Amino acid sequence: MQQRAVRLKLENVSKSFLDRDGKGHVQAVDHISLDIYSGEFLTLLGPSGCGKTTTLRLIAGFEHPTTGRILLDGEDITGQPPNKRDMALVFQNYALFPHMTVYHNVAYGLETRQMPRPQIQAKVAEVLKLIGLEGLDKRRPNQLSGGQQQRVALARSLVMEPRILLFDEPLSNLDAKLRVQMRSEIHRLQRRLGITSIYVTHDQLEAMALSDRIVVMNQGAIEQVGTPEEIYRFPTSRFVADFIGRANFIDRVPYQLVDDDRAEISLLGRKLVVPVRFPLRAGQHVTAMLRPEALVLREDASLMQVTIDEAMYLGSEVEYVVTFDQQRLVIVQQDPRISRIFKEGQTVGLDFLAEAVHLLPDQTVV
Amino acid sequence: MITVRNSGQRYAAKYLNALLKDPLLSIAIIVSVMFVLITIVLPLVAMVGESVSESGRPLFQQYLSSPVYQTIIANTLVLGVLVGMVGTVIGFLFAFVQVKLNVPFKRAIHIIALVPVISPPFAVATAAIVLFGRNGTITRGILGVRYDIYGLDGLVLVMTLSFFTIAYLNLRGMMEALDPALDEAATNLGANKWRIFRTVTLPMLLPGLASSFLLLFVEAIADLGNPLVMGGNYEVLAARIYVTIIGLYETTGAAVLSVILLVPSLTVFLIQRYWINRISVVSVTGKPSGTPQSIDHPLVKWTLYGAVLLICGLIVLIYGTIIHGAFVQVPGVRWDWTFANFDFVINGIGSQAMRDTTTLSALATPIAGLLGMIIAYLVVRKEFWGRNALDFGTMLGIAVPGTIIGIGYILVFNTPIGIGDLTLIPKLTGGQGIFGGALAIVLVFVIRSVPAALRTGSAALSQIDPSIEEASISLGADNARTFRRITLPLIRPAFLAGLIYAFARSMTTISAIVFLTTPQTKIMTAQILNEVENGRYGNAFAYCVILIAIVMAAIGVLYFVVGAQTGAERRLEGGR
Repeated sequence: MQQRAVRLKLENVSKSFLDRDGKGHVQAVDHISLDIYSGEFLTLLGPSGCGKTTTLRLIAGFEHPTTGRILLDGEDITGQPPNKRDMALVFQNYALFPHMTVYHNVAYGLETRQMPRPQIQAKVAEVLKLIGLEGLDKRRPNQLSGGQQQRVALARSLVMEPRILLFDEPLSNLDAKLRVQMRSEIHRLQRRLGITSIYVTHDQLEAMALSDRIVVMNQGAIEQVGTPEEIYRFPTSRFVADFIGRANFIDRVPYQLVDDDRAEISLLGRKLVVPVRFPLRAGQHVTAMLRPEALVLREDASLMQVTIDEAMYLGSEVEYVVTFDQQRLVIVQQDPRISRIFKEGQTVGLDFLAEAVHLLPDQTVV
Repeated sequence: MITVRNSGQRYAAKYLNALLKDPLLSIAIIVSVMFVLITIVLPLVAMVGESVSESGRPLFQQYLSSPVYQTIIANTLVLGVLVGMVGTVIGFLFAFVQVKLNVPFKRAIHIIALVPVISPPFAVATAAIVLFGRNGTITRGILGVRYDIYGLDGLVLVMTLSFFTIAYLNLRGMMEALDPALDEAATNLGANKWRIFRTVTLPMLLPGLASSFLLLFVEAIADLGNPLVMGGNYEVLAARIYVTIIGLYETTGAAVLSVILLVPSLTVFLIQRYWINRISVVSVTGKPSGTPQSIDHPLVKWTLYGAVLLICGLIVLIYGTIIHGAFVQVPGVRWDWTFANFDFVINGIGSQAMRDTTTLSALATPIAGLLGMIIAYLVVRKEFWGRNALDFGTMLGIAVPGTIIGIGYILVFNTPIGIGDLTLIPKLTGGQGIFGGALAIVLVFVIRSVPAALRTGSAALSQIDPSIEEASISLGADNARTFRRITLPLIRPAFLAGLIYAFARSMTTISAIVFLTTPQTKIMTAQILNEVENGRYGNAFAYCVILIAIVMAAIGVLYFVVGAQTGAERRLEGGR
């Protein structure tokens, strides 16, 4: 990460809500501290109920934190009302004003700022052109397709030239094809305009495609912060490994520490030396993680033999499920050169890519 | 525990902070709360206070142990239960025909069912007397019987016809919201239509039926106009309260009777508010999937349809009698064509009442409509301490029988209220009151109408995604601008409905203002009562026709000014 100015700083922020009975509290966000750098695209990723949307709403000012401070360019904005914060939020359901035309939707914020009319017209025209909605300015939201509505919502926020652009699962109401298209559009626009962006999603592919950094959240707390590659290849916890992509876990792998950073393990009948990326005490159990694409099935009698329980042909890939040592393993073969698909019940050799093995501290409670 | 309390205090501090940061919001909250406290809660408290005063307490015992009053109380409850049951059945019948039957003239039936809403009190009762009374055109003239319509049977007839619309609209909304997929699922599992009706439709409508019954019950026991005209020897509480004040000048006695009447009214209100809503399983917001299946069994279909047509015929007959009666010399006796009734009303004694009533209603209407929308916005969208109490207090304006409100006003606002020499609220009621007592009447019009506006407003608001308002705020607009530019335009149909209701209600109300009219401020409904009591039915009918004409004209004007076209409707079509 190159050195960049911190645009937004969350200091020990938490938020608790009264629960339904009004008796206890639900800790939606649990003492989060986070720096967001100027110009970066940061994604808050996690399952539903992990606190990502609440975090975004705290940043936007729609919720007030129970503890902690929020600083925008060094200025404490914790108590500032949402309409005074120089941020614009793109909503999941677009939240377009149904009684206004596209033009008036986009102009709304500028009119609130009491910008002179000619200037507003110029700016609206410019942003509509940027986003590919020229000529639609007289339409009403219900005369637009879902993708166009989402563009208007984006234009409405972009035209404000906010210090931070906030996205609350903006693509989840679109169908699969459109979602991919809008995803690359957002990517293109953000790179081009360089607006600091905070993006909430539960879709890990979306997060990986768009983000400079991903914040994986679970139960109101941050599990891991890192680039998409770091998160995918070197997850620090079983939760992250499982949530981002798919993972096979082999628990209680026998190992011998070679030095501080490496250990020799025996895995699926092989012995190999792998890096250790967390402080490992002797005697502690470790879990080995292997992505499905890191496992290989081959007809090779010298390998460990496994029986195929399930085989699913998915077009671009073939997915197998095998049982090894009472453990279900998922294997994905994406090699287009493979012409043979193994049958269910067939016995084949199991191999893996040694460099893809990632060790995790064993978090299972005994 | 300690941490919970601490964070609670922190919450409170944060809220206070947020309120101070948005002064307009704070003003809206404070004004709404003060309004409800002064115009609704204060009169009620004063009335209850009067009833438990030194002179009031013995009256409780006296009334409750006296056979005369026991009969009156029993009469009131019996009337409420009967009107509740019959009205709910008729309302259900109309709703069922509208939603489930494929029959002609449904639109016309719908409009006929709506007519009683804008009719002044006494109109239906007087017409019923002309048609079915001792000298009734139908009973005596055609059937040749001397039927005594005065009493319980007549009251049930006219009240049911006057109030069943409430049950009809309530149940129709619910039946339309029933997901046809449920019917389809039950059919798919082998159930026939009768079984579906018994096991799916009826249980899902049960909360709606219960709430219709309760609404009608409250309307019936609170009604003053019909018992005064139709009651005969069948005396009910509301009429007794009226007599106690107007005839006996016993304010304390009236307050005691009011508290007795308040018990069933408030009980029903509380049941409605806290129980019915909880057991309700029909979600009105859901998008129906599939098309509702109609009932085709000919016997069922035509029997129900026939019953509905019969009732429609009765309504048409009654309103025909009102209109016709306005143009004849003595309705039911001398059917000679004349304009004398209108002349009497328009050029004679009625002209001031017409002007006053219309003016005061027109003043109350925008206040009630806007206040209803603002309170709805605060209650649905904002979190503040006392939010539920504000909603509750506002609803009391209609939950409490009108006579009781009237007595409360006499008790509280007959003398100026102040601290020392400083007058906070001047004398409002009576001829020497402010604007000849007109302000008190406007206030009563407003508090009787705000609850309906609040309900339609909050129903409309809960259909609108809060993120639309948040989007506005996120784009830099404050709460006031958001309300004006986004919220209000989106709930315009509810606003319009609230305005129409407010005007119609104000023009036709009698029970709440009957004690508040003054020589300077004449009210049409009070004048109609006077004409009916003196047997001048022709004049009464002329008043009613003019009143209905004014209400219809006002509805037209409101449609034109406010506009029925909405952003919300457009959104429903293509929002997703």
